[in-house]
Amino acid sequence: MKASAIKDLGYEVQCEAADSEITGAYTGDLLSDVMGNAPSDSVLITIQAHKNTVAVATLAGIKALIICNDRNVPDDMAEAAKAEDLWIFTTADSQFDASVKIGHLLGL
Amino acid sequence: MLLKLDLHNHSCLSPCAQNELTPGTLAVTAMEMGIDFLALTDHNCARNLPAFKEVCEICGLVGIYGIEVNTIEEVHVLSLFERLEDAMEFGLFVEALLPPIKNDPRLFGDQLIVDEADSILATFDKNILSSCGISFSDLVEETLSRDGLCIPAHVDRPAFSVFSSLGFLPDEPYSAVEVTEFPTRLELGHNAVITGSDAHFIKDIGKRAFALQCPSRDFEGLKRGLLDLRP
Repeated sequence: MKASAIKDLGYEVQCEAADSEITGAYTGDLLSDVMGNAPSDSVLITIQAHKNTVAVATLAGIKALIICNDRNVPDDMAEAAKAEDLWIFTTADSQFDASVKIGHLLGL
Repeated sequence: MLLKLDLHNHSCLSPCAQNELTPGTLAVTAMEMGIDFLALTDHNCARNLPAFKEVCEICGLVGIYGIEVNTIEEVHVLSLFERLEDAMEFGLFVEALLPPIKNDPRLFGDQLIVDEADSILATFDKNILSSCGISFSDLVEETLSRDGLCIPAHVDRPAFSVFSSLGFLPDEPYSAVEVTEFPTRLELGHNAVITGSDAHFIKDIGKRAFALQCPSRDFEGLKRGLLDLRP
């Protein structure tokens, strides 16, 4: 799927980036685990709404972040995402609900 | 006597800190602000502490040699030592627990090791923002067994804190608990509650320094003062 397809879930776009192909997903709030295990070209589903998440995502080759449970995206995080060409979406969904919906989009 | 302490500060070794925030700049600025006890607590690494000791001595500060450890649960904890040698030894122990992930300065920032005159000696290779392979409770035990002070950092912050990562404050013999907003609404039990600046930029040095009654202006006095602060 294309990164922009995540918009169809009604998730709010906090940061728009290149419409890359997303081939997988990872759900996690422990950044060290994300860094070690998230596949590249994926979307990360998390509640970690801070700048470090952007750096970890970039290292792991993640293309989009979905920030769950209505957590706020701070300005410095949005700026960093813009610089790294990373999508950020926000939603009231939990990580589980978002994972299920992304799973459907990916045809899993 | 009422003394001013600031036990949580970074230097240019921490990638997220300003490169101009050298141990020298930290100590001189803190001295100008009338701080008595000053700690340098870079993330998971002690390598700027030798320079920090030199400048603290020149500035007449009581230097406290520390590290802000990121535990396996991604909880930040301050481990603070009276003696540089103990902090350096503890630093090697912590470094070895970091995963072998190289720092990418473009993404995270530089990790500069400097001397007391701000000259760059080297850069540290492993990314020191990673989490170390030690649990929160093991870290508390390890620090205290080395006669250090152990203080969970910024427990009221929404990330990398004991409440955000564990959901509660385990009952451990902490030396104190650090908050960013004082007084705090959090229920922190019988612990001494202090603030720390967590300075990553020169402008933030001393912004959350804490005034404490201590019997003497040395490490023993600080320990006693923290004990007496317990409710």
